[in-house]
Amino acid sequence: MISSDVIRGYNDTFILYLLLDGESYGYEIAKNIRKLSDEKYIMKETTLYSAFTRLEKNGYICSFYKDETQGKRRTYYRITPEGLAYYHEKCAEWLITQEVVNKFIKEL
Amino acid sequence: MDTIIGYLNNMFAALPKTAQIEGVKQDLLASMEEKYRELKEEGKTENEAVGIVISEFGNIDELMEELDIAVEGEEGILPVLAPEDTWDYMVAKKKAGFMTGIGVMLCLIGPALLILLHVLAETGFLQGILSEDAAGILGVVALLILVALAVGLFIFSGMMLENYKYLHKGFNLPHHLRSEIQQRSSAYASTYTLSLVMGVCLCVLSPVPVIAESLINNDSSGYGVVLLLSLIAVAVFLFIYYGNIKESFSFLLKEGEYTREK
Repeated sequence: MISSDVIRGYNDTFILYLLLDGESYGYEIAKNIRKLSDEKYIMKETTLYSAFTRLEKNGYICSFYKDETQGKRRTYYRITPEGLAYYHEKCAEWLITQEVVNKFIKEL
Repeated sequence: MDTIIGYLNNMFAALPKTAQIEGVKQDLLASMEEKYRELKEEGKTENEAVGIVISEFGNIDELMEELDIAVEGEEGILPVLAPEDTWDYMVAKKKAGFMTGIGVMLCLIGPALLILLHVLAETGFLQGILSEDAAGILGVVALLILVALAVGLFIFSGMMLENYKYLHKGFNLPHHLRSEIQQRSSAYASTYTLSLVMGVCLCVLSPVPVIAESLINNDSSGYGVVLLLSLIAVAVFLFIYYGNIKESFSFLLKEGEYTREK
């Protein structure tokens, strides 16, 4: 299990990635993060909703309501063009981060 | 599921109830509900499902930071009371209560004295010392002096509490200090009750002299009224003095009427 401290800077990236293919809602995103990470990373509920708030504040995602079949209203999120640009930025940043960190990793 | 709702309500209890926060709370609840349902479908027991959902909830501070809720910060700005300030405040409050109590007492004793002098002159007790007119004038002068004294006391006690006005803007009480005040407060409870009972008894009994007087001799001369006023004066003093001490406790502990609205 990955500690949340290590991955903090990339929570936004995960969420944006999952919105690339279309809109989604909180629990679905949480579940997909868990699945794609092979259960190695479970994003805490508050982390997820903090990220939603932050991303929306920065204009990277927008939210809207959708009525579900059971009559419940659910908040959905969609990525904005700014969000997409930010996603690319983060991807580029990760490549560099990876490259740098790898220079200090040695198999013993 | 009730456990989860209770947990969430608990986590949000201290937060302001704005539309944005309510919305986030509903979203969180929906997420947790769905997770819970899926876990149950996977064959987890009630306890396991609730445990997993709650353990994956996370830290509410993280969310508050993002929502710009400065609950912590706001608390930080409030002065933290030092023990000396707290005891000083309590002493000042007690003294102010004493002075206000005496002041109100003087206001009641003034008319009592006026009546007493009048009655004494009328019944001839003051013959050779004071004429009836002089007694009347003396009574009025005494009343005015007592009222003036009382007003002085009111102003002085008000000024004494002025120094502690900042406390009304809010303060934080360190934990150990709070428990100490709590202890003193509960120790004081019986004294307060006793003073209250005595005060009420005095008020109830205050008409007795008037009734007794009219029973003894038909043309009641007014001594009864003097006694009535005196008894009420003592009762009022008890209410104000002990009430002020009690108030200082409830104020510091933010109990009763000083409960802070959330």
